[in-house]
Amino acid sequence: MKPSPALLVAAMLAVAFAPDAVCAHVVKGEAIGFVSGFLHPVSGADHVIAMVAVGLWGAQLESPAIWALPVTFPLVMAFGGLLGLVGVPLPASELAIALSGVCLGAVVLTQFRPPLWVAALLVGTFGLFHGYAHGAELPAAQNAILYSLGFVLATGLLHAAGIAIGALHRWTWGRNFMRVAGALVMGGGLYFLWGALT
Amino acid sequence: MTHVPAPARAALTPVVRLLAVVIVWLAAPAGTRAHEVRPGYLEINQTAPQAYAVIWKQPTLGEIAVHLAPRLSNGWLKRPPVDQYAADYFLIRRWSVASAAPLAGVSVAIDGLPETITDVFVRVRWLDGRRQDVILRPESPSFVIADPTERAATGVPGFLVLGVEHILTGLDHLLVLLGLILLVRDRWMLLKTVTAFTVAHSLTLALAVLCHVQLSTPVLNTLIALSVLFLAPEVMRARRRETSLTIRHPWIVSFAFGLLHGMGFASGLTGLGLDRADLVSALLSFNVGVEIGQLAFLALVLALVRAFRLLEIRWPRPVALAPTYAIGVFGATWTFQYGAAALGFIR
Amino acid sequence: MKRLRLIITGLSGAILMILAPAAAQAHLVATGLGPVYDGIAHFGLSPEDFLPVIALGFYAGLTGAGQGRAALAGVTLGWLIGGAAVAGLPPLVLSVATAALYLVIGGLLAAKRALQAAPVAALGFALGVARGAADFAGALLGADPALTLAGMAIAVFAVLPLAASVTLPMRRTWIIVAARVSGSWLAALGILFAGWLLRFGKAVQ
Repeated sequence: MKPSPALLVAAMLAVAFAPDAVCAHVVKGEAIGFVSGFLHPVSGADHVIAMVAVGLWGAQLESPAIWALPVTFPLVMAFGGLLGLVGVPLPASELAIALSGVCLGAVVLTQFRPPLWVAALLVGTFGLFHGYAHGAELPAAQNAILYSLGFVLATGLLHAAGIAIGALHRWTWGRNFMRVAGALVMGGGLYFLWGALT
Repeated sequence: MTHVPAPARAALTPVVRLLAVVIVWLAAPAGTRAHEVRPGYLEINQTAPQAYAVIWKQPTLGEIAVHLAPRLSNGWLKRPPVDQYAADYFLIRRWSVASAAPLAGVSVAIDGLPETITDVFVRVRWLDGRRQDVILRPESPSFVIADPTERAATGVPGFLVLGVEHILTGLDHLLVLLGLILLVRDRWMLLKTVTAFTVAHSLTLALAVLCHVQLSTPVLNTLIALSVLFLAPEVMRARRRETSLTIRHPWIVSFAFGLLHGMGFASGLTGLGLDRADLVSALLSFNVGVEIGQLAFLALVLALVRAFRLLEIRWPRPVALAPTYAIGVFGATWTFQYGAAALGFIR
Repeated sequence: MKRLRLIITGLSGAILMILAPAAAQAHLVATGLGPVYDGIAHFGLSPEDFLPVIALGFYAGLTGAGQGRAALAGVTLGWLIGGAAVAGLPPLVLSVATAALYLVIGGLLAAKRALQAAPVAALGFALGVARGAADFAGALLGADPALTLAGMAIAVFAVLPLAASVTLPMRRTWIIVAARVSGSWLAALGILFAGWLLRFGKAVQ
């Protein structure tokens, strides 16, 4: 009758992150904070493709990177968010975000394998800009903790989605599929880059 | 501290125990009855294209009046009822209304519900047989009647939740489960014990609801209280590595207690005055709800036991004994209380 | 001595029962199940409360059983003291403390950096005081604050060991990785919250 740890983790995550439970607080307008925080990273396609690409790349790079990137990325991104909130000027963030799509798409497409620190630095730099853009747009009238929670959670789930697709990495056709996904990300990045430049 | 000779000390033990129980009994009259409150029932029945019959069953509790009053936003219930009478545990009022105004969009509220712990079951039934079932709770004491053409009526999730709630708020059921968990050492036996409890209470729940096989409430309450009380010394014996029939074959006891508690669960359903047609689905979902609540409690207790064991916590003896004492003290209190009520000493 | 012990047990039983009826009494607004359940429910519905407790449990479990016990004692005691005694602290102070504690607890978990039992207990105590006080600062826990607080403490006392029991056996790598990722999320939460406080901090006052 020993509950398996896996089950316990699943149950805890379910409880911790069930939007339902959070929505039960609707009275205080908190759910709005959570939902808008959650929707924020998912609503901009430029962010979404970059986050998924991070997961894909992590999966391609395999063992320490596959979890080192998801551990460091939220921290760097949150730090970028802090800079954005405080109002530190960070030049050309729109451009950098669009560029991040192009770069991350390109590395997934080419299966580029730099040393871990180079990968972390690259992903970290882009994460900073993504976080900055989100932070700068954060409205005042929100429940800060729940907004941030939704925000972090959505980002993490996008990574997870990338890593899950990365499970295909085992097979040859899966690797090719991932490279196609990388090409798509790159194409999307180019589109947004065009938008940012004009 | 003065020296107490050994025989006197031995004599003191039951006295202290009895004293504790008496103190507790005097101190605890209100809360322990809380679980007895039956849900209220409001039915709005379309009897003809422009005629409605409204029935309101308000739970009463001995002399304690439960202050609940239904209110419709179209003002139907402001008129005096056509009929009013008291039945066992209920005060019943009827209205009949002639109206051409549509029922959809009317809001139904139960005044006084937020101050209670009871639920009110509301059924709206249209002429064509469609209906809307809603369970109102203290935290959500009102709702708006929906347009019958827009929804497919089903009360199943409501009964499921009712079942979960019924067991998780019923301290008596939880204490018996806790006692059985504490009594049993190995997993296989726990599985047998819990299954026996489940089978037994499903059986009597079904019998009570479908065939009205039911003990009188005071007797049932006394027996349930005794079942709680019974487990405390057995758990103590198991702790001391002594043995007894209960410890050797806990599933027998759990089956017997399951039979009792199933009738107890039935009190959460029978008061609603449901149609026979709905009874089976309501019963099933209510029972599944009870099972879910029971398994959740079981899982929680086992997970906590495992967690505390992993943390290698050495509890001080009183803390380690506290759950057993809680079972015993509550059981004894309820036995006195309900036993006295069953024998007619107090009403 | 035996008599004394009996009296103590009898008395504690009596106290339990005196408390319990109040808990089950028929007057509570939010859940309808009494203030103790209300406290538990409030904890369960407040991610700002249960997330750091879960993370602290994960962390303590990663470092060892001794740290787990220390964290459990610290956070429960802290919550009770914070809720009962420190309710007058200004919200901004509590928010800053919350952000800092998220960052520290999440960072320690993400980095899997082991500490001795005493600092872990202190960390738990600080978290308990900050969150307990924050929960009772708003006075939104009406009916019977003492019992609501007791309910919250019970919830804390149950959730932390459960979280610790996930990471304590250290059997599967992916559990540890998942716990560390959750730590980095909590730290990120702390950083974002800190940024929010820097920008809109006056609004909290």
